[in-house]
Amino acid sequence: MTIHLSILLWLPAAAGLLGMLAPRALGRWIAVAGAALTFAYTVVLIADFDTGARGLQYVTDETWIAELGIHYKLGVDGLNLMLVGLTGLLFLASFVWLALTDWERPGQMVFFFGLAESSVLGALLAQDLALFVLFFDLMLVPFFFLTGIWGPPATRIAAITKLFIYTLVGSLLMLTAAIALGVLSAQQGGGDLTFVLSDLARVRLSEGTQQWIFLCFAAAFLVKMPAFPLHGWMPDGYRNMPLPVLAVFSGVLSKVAAYGFLRVVTPLLPDASVHFQELMMLLALASILYGSAMAFTTTDVRLVLGYSSVAQLGFIVLGIFSLQGDGAQGAIFQAVNHGLVVAPAFVVVAALALRAGGSEDVRDMGGLAFRAPVLAAMFLIVTLATLAMPGSANFVGEFLILFGAFNSKIAIAIVAFTGVALASVYALRLFIRSMHNRVGADAVSRELTLREGVVLVPLVAVVLFFAVYPQLALDRSERAATQSVRVAGALAHPEETRIAQEQPTP
Amino acid sequence: MLRTYLPAIVFVGLGTLVGAIFTMMNSWFGPKRKRTPTTFKQDPYECGLPSEVQQGFRFGISFYLIAMLFILFDIEVVFLYPVAVQLRAFGTFALIETIVFIALLVVAFVYVWRRGALEWR
Amino acid sequence: MKHEAPNIDWAGLSPVIALLGGAIVVLLAGLLRSRLVRERAVPFLAIVAFGASLGLGIWQWGEDAQVFIAKGSQATLAFDELTLMVTFIVAVAGIATVLLSWRALAPREAAHGEFYALLLTSAAGMVAMAGAQNLVTLFLGLELLSVPLYVLCATEMRRERSLESGLKYLIIGSTGSAVFLYGLALIYGATGGTDLREIATGAAGEAGGDVLLLTGIGLTIVGLGFKASVAPFHQWTPDGYEGAPTPVTAFMAVATKAAAFGAMLRLLDVGLIDAQPDWAPLLAILATITIVVGNVGALGQSSLKRLLAWSSVAQAGYLLAGVVVASSLGVSATVFYLAVYTMMNLAAFAVIVARERETPWGDDIASVAGIGVSRPALAWPLTISMLSLAGLPATAGFIGKFYLIDAAVDGGYTWLGIVIVIGSMISLAYYLRVVAAMWMRAEVAAVSATAQPRLAGADPEAERPQWELYLVAIAAGAATIFFGVIPSPLFDLATAAGRSLGLL
Repeated sequence: MTIHLSILLWLPAAAGLLGMLAPRALGRWIAVAGAALTFAYTVVLIADFDTGARGLQYVTDETWIAELGIHYKLGVDGLNLMLVGLTGLLFLASFVWLALTDWERPGQMVFFFGLAESSVLGALLAQDLALFVLFFDLMLVPFFFLTGIWGPPATRIAAITKLFIYTLVGSLLMLTAAIALGVLSAQQGGGDLTFVLSDLARVRLSEGTQQWIFLCFAAAFLVKMPAFPLHGWMPDGYRNMPLPVLAVFSGVLSKVAAYGFLRVVTPLLPDASVHFQELMMLLALASILYGSAMAFTTTDVRLVLGYSSVAQLGFIVLGIFSLQGDGAQGAIFQAVNHGLVVAPAFVVVAALALRAGGSEDVRDMGGLAFRAPVLAAMFLIVTLATLAMPGSANFVGEFLILFGAFNSKIAIAIVAFTGVALASVYALRLFIRSMHNRVGADAVSRELTLREGVVLVPLVAVVLFFAVYPQLALDRSERAATQSVRVAGALAHPEETRIAQEQPTP
Repeated sequence: MLRTYLPAIVFVGLGTLVGAIFTMMNSWFGPKRKRTPTTFKQDPYECGLPSEVQQGFRFGISFYLIAMLFILFDIEVVFLYPVAVQLRAFGTFALIETIVFIALLVVAFVYVWRRGALEWR
Repeated sequence: MKHEAPNIDWAGLSPVIALLGGAIVVLLAGLLRSRLVRERAVPFLAIVAFGASLGLGIWQWGEDAQVFIAKGSQATLAFDELTLMVTFIVAVAGIATVLLSWRALAPREAAHGEFYALLLTSAAGMVAMAGAQNLVTLFLGLELLSVPLYVLCATEMRRERSLESGLKYLIIGSTGSAVFLYGLALIYGATGGTDLREIATGAAGEAGGDVLLLTGIGLTIVGLGFKASVAPFHQWTPDGYEGAPTPVTAFMAVATKAAAFGAMLRLLDVGLIDAQPDWAPLLAILATITIVVGNVGALGQSSLKRLLAWSSVAQAGYLLAGVVVASSLGVSATVFYLAVYTMMNLAAFAVIVARERETPWGDDIASVAGIGVSRPALAWPLTISMLSLAGLPATAGFIGKFYLIDAAVDGGYTWLGIVIVIGSMISLAYYLRVVAAMWMRAEVAAVSATAQPRLAGADPEAERPQWELYLVAIAAGAATIFFGVIPSPLFDLATAAGRSLGLL
């Protein structure tokens, strides 16, 4: 029982609140300091993490609402550890980015941003289903304000309302599903009502119940990602978010959804996970192909990244629903990698737009590398990581995912391979069209400024670090990822008891 | 379900029938006169003086107000009377109750008086 | 012949006595000539009366007082935890209403004494209705609640909409009362008792087959549905809410609903508990209709009061879910949500009143445009209120909805839980519109060619700082957040209320 996770969780929101109340000039730096402290905390957490230990670490467990069996239970294990670190890093980068840019009402901005970080951390750390749902829904609220107040005035309200309702449709269904999961488990297991995940995992609901609950959860997570047929909010949402906000939205929020599958769905609903395994893998495949194709054809730089996210999250879902330890581990690792890659990519987008006369269309760009070798180098590293160049961390992630997929559904895995090739097509196209070719009409090639560099360079450094030393993340996530899909995996592949033997039942 | 309502249905049916019969009996058995009714027949009252009240005449609102207040305070006596008669049987409780009741009436009276509802305008 | 005096528990009755005594004092004080007394002392006395009722209620908590026990029967009025919770809600709403109407137009036009006396009387009716264990007392409470409200709706006498509102409410409300009374008569006819326990005994064997009883239950639900604005008996709600003076609207929205649901819970879950298999599906369908109609109706509204009126219809639908399941969990959830609903609505109405006085836009959504910049102290409470009404996390509304869905699933009505969240999804569209207007649109210029003329007889004191409006808005908004983060105190009260009806 420690208080560390609570401090980590509430620090950003508190700093944001202070930042709003503090004088204008000081406020943003208070918030940045809060985010820096949070990130430092996560770094210590990662360094201090005991790789050998089973189960949760740094657990905080208090009864929050006794009548409803809701606990304020936080904990870290291999599933969320690296994602917590990613959240700390990306929010810090965006906070710095925000602080270096001039905005109207900066006080409110840092408050909402701090609230956003706290709610994302809450969703990642929560070890109680009700608490998870609470934070998962809460995540969206600050982004409503961040986009609605600071987005482009003409379209922002319509876009964010659409995004909000779209994503909350899934989340609210998840609310009912979560309550049903708790209540029905209590009725079946005969115990008191509880939403603590480890208690819920002890009861196995009937298959029919599991299936509708699974569909509700899947709806929430797939919309949030977004996955192929449920991505309708994505283009409008991406076009209207301020870029620093979009960097964390794309980098972190979608990962929480993927994480939700591993944290909640596969351990609690193993029968349904097996039942819908093929459906989910096919959806993942569709996301990969559709996202890649759209990323290749669209000219809006933001949307190129948006659709590439759809494709990347397709890979992650594929890994999860391979229901193999390798696939799940790859999914977690790839979630971290994609977050690390997409955030600097948005910094680059901002830099490109600045140089292309404010336009975010690749047709207006070109030749930007001529006088900006550092910017070009940074962008190249990000691009190569995005297309999963061997030697990058993304390569390791995709390799593990496809390895897992091969072991469960070969046909789907083979088709998914084309996705890897398509990734290089759209990533390189974006790089070449913007950096090389003829200089655009209104475009000017300028070197990276100090402000951009402060945000961009550390992020790229982390990308390089993980390329060199992916073991840092893999070691820590292996045990938990395998554990998460163990029951479902054993159901899906009864003949293959390798995983089950590796992890004897506690 | 039908059985429950059977008496009611029979009752309604009989009532309609009897009513209809009585109405019609009048025209069957009554004296039949060919003459059209006289103007006197069409007066609101067949006897007495012709009405002075013209169409569109309105009573002053004070009439209604006073009449309403009269009824309010008058009716209260109806409640006081039985208590007074049977006070011994009900005991102290009724006495206190009556006093509270009268006190409330006094409040109402003070209110009506101070608001000027008793003044003729 | 010697009669026995009924046994009256004066201590138990004290919350109602405080309200009615306060009404008399306020009425008489309003007759005094001094302007100071009328405009300052009278509202203050009304607050004291509400506060006394609240305090006496707290004192009586846990006593389970049974007042008016005549020989050989159950008390006609029970001051158990359920009644006391309704008392608390009504008293808090009453205090807020007095603060909101302190410098409003309505009491000045209708005379201060009368306005506040009517408010107190209506509140007493609400408490009596929630505590009634006897059909006659129940009806008495209903009428005592309704009649003053009919008048209060029409207190802005120079405004046509206010009169229209009062008249509509009167006519529809009387229809509701008549239907309700007819239903009570049929229940009496079917079971042979006016006492809820007698009814329960009489209804025990009859359920399912007795048409008379079923018709009675149906009509009673319809009658209470009128008061609680359950669809399809909600038609008066938008016009009634829009036309009535805004403080009165706030009181109607919050307190009437609490009283109606209190009575509904007691009548259905005590008197007619054995007929639950019969009325539960009916009520569940009503809840569904109400949720859909209320939320869809609110979508196109530009008047904030109309919007809140439709939203209150939808919220009544959510509340019904707690009644349907007829369990102690359901009662607790309903009571919890009623308390939460009070806070979030009071915050919203306080902001509407404040903006009505500050801008020429009345209660149009334009009146709150851009206040995120110019009046953050008003924008935050309204934002919290809207998010809470929509059921977003970290607000009390989320916990309340969680509780209701929990009760619904627990009682075997999982599909009703899904209907609730579908309703919430629709509701986001209009709640977010208000939030978006506050934070993301520019303030509408006060003087413009299309501006509506200032309402006749508008408040000459509008320029003065109106701290009491800020007080209500901020207090209610803060409470909404507080009970969203630390709901346990409210849970304890709600659970006690849930247990008081003796259900499983």
